[in-house]
Formats: sequence, C-alpha cells, structure tokens
Amino acid sequence: MLGSNRPALSSKAYDVDDFAAAQELFHSNGWTDGLPVVPPTEAAVEACLDWALMPPDQLIGIEPVRAQPITAEKLAINAVMAGCLPMHFPIVATAWQAMMKEEFLLHGVTSSTGGCAILVIINGPIRLEIGANATFNALGNSDRATSVIGRAIRLALINLMNVRPGGIDRTTLGHPGKFSYCLAEDEEGSDWQPLSVMRGIPQGLSAVTVMAALAPRQIMNEWTTDPKEILETFAAEMRANQRHYSIYGGNYAIVIPKQLRDIIQAAGWTKRDIAEFIYERARVRRGEWADVGKGAIVRDRPNKIHTALESPDHLLVVAAGGPAGGFGAVIPPWMGSKTKAVTAAIGACVDCEPPKG
Amino acid sequence: MIVRVLDPTHELKAAGVQPAVRPSSLQGKTVGFISNGKEGTKGYFTQLERMLRDDLGVADVIWRTKSNYSAPADAHIVDEARQWHAAVTGVGD
Repeated sequence: MLGSNRPALSSKAYDVDDFAAAQELFHSNGWTDGLPVVPPTEAAVEACLDWALMPPDQLIGIEPVRAQPITAEKLAINAVMAGCLPMHFPIVATAWQAMMKEEFLLHGVTSSTGGCAILVIINGPIRLEIGANATFNALGNSDRATSVIGRAIRLALINLMNVRPGGIDRTTLGHPGKFSYCLAEDEEGSDWQPLSVMRGIPQGLSAVTVMAALAPRQIMNEWTTDPKEILETFAAEMRANQRHYSIYGGNYAIVIPKQLRDIIQAAGWTKRDIAEFIYERARVRRGEWADVGKGAIVRDRPNKIHTALESPDHLLVVAAGGPAGGFGAVIPPWMGSKTKAVTAAIGACVDCEPPKG
Repeated sequence: MIVRVLDPTHELKAAGVQPAVRPSSLQGKTVGFISNGKEGTKGYFTQLERMLRDDLGVADVIWRTKSNYSAPADAHIVDEARQWHAAVTGVGD
C-alpha cells in the first residue's frame, strides 16, 4: 500500500450508527441512484486509490464545459458506493478520463432531453482479471464487474456533476442503461480484432471505449448463412432508428453474438468489411420522414441521403453475447455526431500488486 | 457499531456570479437572441421580438444560433454579445 506516504483523504466524513443509517443518509441527500449503496468508508476508498496507485488529489480530468475538476478520491468514493472492488477502479477512472475529452461533450450528453446513457466497452486482459463475462446476457447484469463499473459511472455523474433528474439531467425518458451500461468484448470467442485495436490501441493493452448511447435495439435473424443477409438486418434496424429517432449520422455500436459471428467469420469477413457494408446499407432518404409522421421537417430536400455513419470508422463492432441465438443489438448514438465515442488505454499497472507499505 | 462514511459530492461551492447591470429601459436598445437552433425557438423568439419592438421600443433585435444545441455558444457569438445591451438565451426545445 501507499500507506503512510499517501496524503490523507480530504472528504467530509459522517458518523452513522449502522448500515441502514448510512443508506438513509445517502438517499436523503440525493447521493444515490435509488438503489442501496455500499457505504464508502475510508478503508474502502483508500484501497481503490492504492490499487490504482493514485494519490487522493490526483486530477482525473476537468469537465470542459463547466470546468468541474474530478479527483481520484471523489471518483473512488462513488466507485465504492457502486460496489466496485479496488481492481475495478482503474477502469472507472479511465472511462472518466475518456468522458472528459472535449469531443465526447459530456455536458450535452448528460443534460439533454434525449436521454442517453454512457456505454462502457472493456477490452484487453483486464476483462479476464476482473471476471467480466462477455457471453450470456452480455448487455444485462451478466457479472459483478460490468454491473458495478457501469453503475459507478452514473453515481459519479450524479454526485460530481450534479446530473440528477430535473437538475442538470433534463432527460424526457431515459432508459435502464442509466443504472449501469457496461459490457466486455468476447475476444476469446472471436477471430476479429478487439474494438480497442480497431480504434488505435495496441494489441494486448487493456482499454475502455465510452459512447453516449441509447438503449439497445434487438434484432433477430436465424434463417440465413449469408453474411450480407445477417448484416442487412442490422442495417435495417439502423435505418429504422434514423426514421423514428434521429436521421443524423454518428457512432453506432452493433453487438454481434457467437451464432451470427461464426457465420460471418467463416465467410472471411473482418470488422472492417462489416463496417463498410453497413455504411453503404444504413442510409435513408430524408423524404422517408414523411412516412413516419415527420413530413413537416422534410422541407425541400426529400431526396437528400442521410447515412447512419459519417464513415465506416464510426461503427463500433463488438463481439459479445451467449453462444446460442441469432440475436444481435444495434445501439444508436445519443444525437448524431454531436458526441464522439472515445477509446482510452487503461494506464494503471493492473498486473502488479500494490506496493507493500 | 458506528460507521464513518465519506461525502461523495465535490463539496465545492460554486463561485458567485455577478449578474450584469440591468438596463432601466430597453427603449432604443439592442437585444440579442441566442437560439439553440431547435424548431420550438422560432415561434418563441418571433413573438418575443414583436413584443420587444412594439411594447418596449427596442431598436434592434439580433438573432444568432449556436452551432451545437447541446454545447455552449460559439466564441464568436459570445464576443458579439458584448456589444448588445441585453441578451435572451437558454430557452427553446
């Protein structure tokens, strides 16, 4: 441990009688997402900081619009509350570093009526160390690690950015991913390059990708062995999102499960091939808005073509999901290209034991 | 058993901001509108411009639209706003 060399924590402390009293303290102050929290004790917070080799006052970043600094201590408190173990904390910290990049537009993402959640996708060896499950139920409470990491993102938004419903968060509806929205990629069950490598991180490094994401739209196609037909179903769902939600192009994620991956990979398709196919197929004519009740905003451009992706590079192809079932998911962006997905390598030495005091 | 828990908020008090001096009258003044670009702003600002001109004697109303409705106003709009006597922003969806 950093032990006696570590600067003292500076957060205000409260003495409560027991676990139940801690819950009431946190709920009554608006410090939770409505679910019970793990009481953030000094020991638990210090364990997170020690694991990540971070002093309490280390600056994780500064949110660029509101100039709000985020320190390791405060982030660790929220991670503990979410249920994180120390080994989860470097992922939370890196995700927050990525979220505070200007191109992510964290303020817009978290305040918009559009109501997205922040999707965290984990790649690299850290997935195995933390026991992240990229197979069964990949998009919903598949394992402890992804559940608590996703929750830590949201709790920290609530407490460090005041992103509370009706406060900074002006969301009309939102979606359940706002409790936790995190998955790992099934790198062992895929021949494809990991998402992080596709986005420029060297092979073998652990990384997170954050994306301002709507709820998953599930598709199904179990009746073909033609990759083009499978991917056409994904593209059709993206076109539906363009018609029904937002026509503008941005980062979409598609989650391809093992059953469909096996077919696509056997035909020799890479992630790049998939992205180029989807780029060509996921596009609509502006005039199609008139078919779905939005004729008022077609104006004089009915034949203008809107692509769901600004380029093939904007598609995040993720291998995940249980071994059986021809189900996939399209995860649309919050609002076109106003936000960009960000990928960042996890800098802490997660293979090392914390130094002994 | 007493449990000592830590405050999860940033605990920082927002620096106080000083509101701009309010003009005693808008007669003959220049008022700027900073729209977020959403459809609903058009009707609102159109009506507001009429009221400002007809009822309060505003001399000039300048419309500007942010390039990204979810981001702060562009720097050139903020710079231009320094020349206005009053500005209306933060409304419309």
